[in-house]
Amino acid sequence: MLQNIFFGLSLGAVYSLIAVGFALVFNILKFSNFSHGGVMSFTAYAGYFAYIKFFDGKVSGSLMFIAIVSTAAAVGAITAVAIERVGFRRLRRNNAPVIYYFISSITLGILLENIVTIFASSNFYSYPMFFSANNITLFGTTFSVADVVTLLFSSCALIVLLFVLYRSKLGLGVRTVSFDVNTASLMGIDANRVVMATFAMSGALGGISGVFLGMNYSLYPQLGQLVVKGFIASVIGGLGSITGAVIGALLLGIVEVALIGVVGSGWMPACVFVIMLVFLLLRPRGIAGVIVQEKA
Amino acid sequence: MDYIYSILTLTGITMIGVMGTYMVTGLTGQFSFGQAAFMAVGGYVSAMLALKFNVPFVFAALAGAAAATLSGLLVGLPTVRLRRDYISLVTFGFGEAIISVLNNSAQLTGGAEGLVGIPKRVDLPLVAISVACCIFVVACYKNSKYGRQCLALRTDELAARSMGIDVNRLKLVTFLFASAITGYAGVLYAFYAQYLEPGYFNWTISAEWLIIVFVGGINSLTGALVSAAILTSLPEMLRFASAWRIIIYCVIVLLIINFRPNGIFGDWEINRLWKKKNNEKQRTPGKGAQA
Amino acid sequence: MSSGLLDVSGISKAFGGVHAVDEFSFTANPGEIVGIIGPNGAGKTTVFNLVTGVYVPDRGSVVLDGVTLSGKRQDEIARQGIGRTFQNIRLFKGLNVIENVMTASDPSAPYDFLSAILALPKKRAADRAAAEKARDYLSLVGLSGIEEARPEALPYGLQRKLELARALALQPKVILLDEPAAGLNPSEVRDFIDLVLRLHERFNFTIVFIEHRMEVVMNLSHKLYVLSFGKLLASGEPETVRRNPEVIEAYIGEED
Repeated sequence: MLQNIFFGLSLGAVYSLIAVGFALVFNILKFSNFSHGGVMSFTAYAGYFAYIKFFDGKVSGSLMFIAIVSTAAAVGAITAVAIERVGFRRLRRNNAPVIYYFISSITLGILLENIVTIFASSNFYSYPMFFSANNITLFGTTFSVADVVTLLFSSCALIVLLFVLYRSKLGLGVRTVSFDVNTASLMGIDANRVVMATFAMSGALGGISGVFLGMNYSLYPQLGQLVVKGFIASVIGGLGSITGAVIGALLLGIVEVALIGVVGSGWMPACVFVIMLVFLLLRPRGIAGVIVQEKA
Repeated sequence: MDYIYSILTLTGITMIGVMGTYMVTGLTGQFSFGQAAFMAVGGYVSAMLALKFNVPFVFAALAGAAAATLSGLLVGLPTVRLRRDYISLVTFGFGEAIISVLNNSAQLTGGAEGLVGIPKRVDLPLVAISVACCIFVVACYKNSKYGRQCLALRTDELAARSMGIDVNRLKLVTFLFASAITGYAGVLYAFYAQYLEPGYFNWTISAEWLIIVFVGGINSLTGALVSAAILTSLPEMLRFASAWRIIIYCVIVLLIINFRPNGIFGDWEINRLWKKKNNEKQRTPGKGAQA
Repeated sequence: MSSGLLDVSGISKAFGGVHAVDEFSFTANPGEIVGIIGPNGAGKTTVFNLVTGVYVPDRGSVVLDGVTLSGKRQDEIARQGIGRTFQNIRLFKGLNVIENVMTASDPSAPYDFLSAILALPKKRAADRAAAEKARDYLSLVGLSGIEEARPEALPYGLQRKLELARALALQPKVILLDEPAAGLNPSEVRDFIDLVLRLHERFNFTIVFIEHRMEVVMNLSHKLYVLSFGKLLASGEPETVRRNPEVIEAYIGEED
């Protein structure tokens, strides 16, 4: 049981990276950024090819892991910023209704996924084993090294992010812009730079989660569709809340592991869907979120 | 010749599916990522009835559309109350749930291997007539109190309510109508291609339909249809590999969003060509109250 | 039977710890023109939102001709006979001018789904009648001849008129106007006052309006209510209220 919980937490930790990346953009631009999945696929593959081209044979083990994750994070940040420039900058300038952001983000996500399909074809690649296949035994249960590292690394990444958000000037800018873009500009904050920075952070997180997913699931172009997990986690936690996204993600991870045990992996998606639907009907604002009611 | 026939048939079927998406997203502004699932329901139910119970095509078709409408009710009832962002998630989840159910019921549905041996009952003429009928009913819907109220609630839900419009009921009715039509598209597909596979109906199909509606212009039914016709048939004829076709879709969409956000057709409808003449005939001068 | 008697008693609404509206009551008798004024942020639009059902009052009740409205859904309240315009114009951008006004008739249009999708004669006749009615209302406010225009293409003053026509087409018992003269230049304001008086004389509905422009307030209202920080500060005839020292202080602030 403890093992299942741990496994769920580890899975949830990866989901939380996705969810937070997702939530960051939702916070400032108020829409669900579906291109995040495309970024995840793209960076997962980028990390892999970096490994093949640059790192194979030169470094090994945990050092290689760090190298690949850093590459993926960097690629993710750059890709996300490019996406913002191409897909959303004009819409912001024209005050376009939300629906256009949706479409733009889906399109970019699909575009990235198909670019990956073309260059990587439909072969399945897989990341090398970064860590020894050893297990750690604690409290009478065994944990694999990979899961432990996933949990630890994700937690660190999130802590760093929270630090940036709440203790740095940039983070203050991000939080201000998420309240009101126009007022923030009036206060001298360069909204464009803040938006770019947010996308960069979101992309970096996407990159890291891409690598972890690649580690767990092997690489395939549709990897990015796992962004839905992030969306679900964000929704459960409350759209607009970073901490909510994390909590929602951890819960989701644990619930998924538990469900697989009970109904098998075939029926699990359907069950998660039903649970989520019920949850949304009972508590639409999620665990930590705030619903802003429209005023006349 | 055969090849052109098949392209035209598939294009027609897609146009019907796109009309469903047009109603849900273009008319009521709900972002449904699961429309393809209704096609799956319609197709599978009608096919299974025909295969396992030898139900004649007409009744199987009606049953398929009815089943799709019923699932539209199941999804629609909770969905219409939800916030915009949630709708896409819930409809997506529904789509994936349907696919996983179909995949896991190998006994009934053939599972991931697909359902084979569906009798061929659908050919180009039937599809063409179906498309024409669907265009007629959907256009009438748009030009009626339903269409107007939908567009009203799409642009400003609060103001719509202040005009006495029952927003939730309208969203639901439109959703049901759309799922019926999309289910029918599924029936046509099943009895044309004679083979069904759960993977054919995943969310990327729904996303493609959304993109088609946008490229055409969300306010224009004509635009949605023309865009569907072009974006479906052209790549088939030019034999693009599917990933490239999608990349080209995406680039087109991004260009349109950035430079012509109202879509190619904006809100132009083809009936404007003959509507103006009618208007001049109808109105008699001197009518209307003076303030 | 009185028609258009709006009785609002003791409504309150708090958001978090902020009391936007606190035990506010007012009565609009049939055919009366009532003004609600007060400094910015006093809660005036919130009062409208409470009356029309956008918010549910924490306490208090809204009664129209003996029928309790508070607690009903927003669209139900509208159908009971309350029409409204908005401070920030809310026209339907997906529809053209005449269609905007036709939305008033649509919820009660006498045809069903089947008639609609098959374009049966019943539907076509009903829609023609609705269009005629819409044209009548458009010409009443002075907007004839632009039916096919898109609302966002109209100049600001005409947009305001369109919103008014749309609300009128509901044939409401009570019409709520939220800062209807905002953004209008002085000659437009004078036209607007004339228009409202003409319409009022013709239809004799009850009007409740929120305004800042003293010209409008003084020339239109039979009765005034002054709201400050969500509470009723003063009420009565316009001239009396205008001279009330507390009211002056609320607007201008204390004298040093």
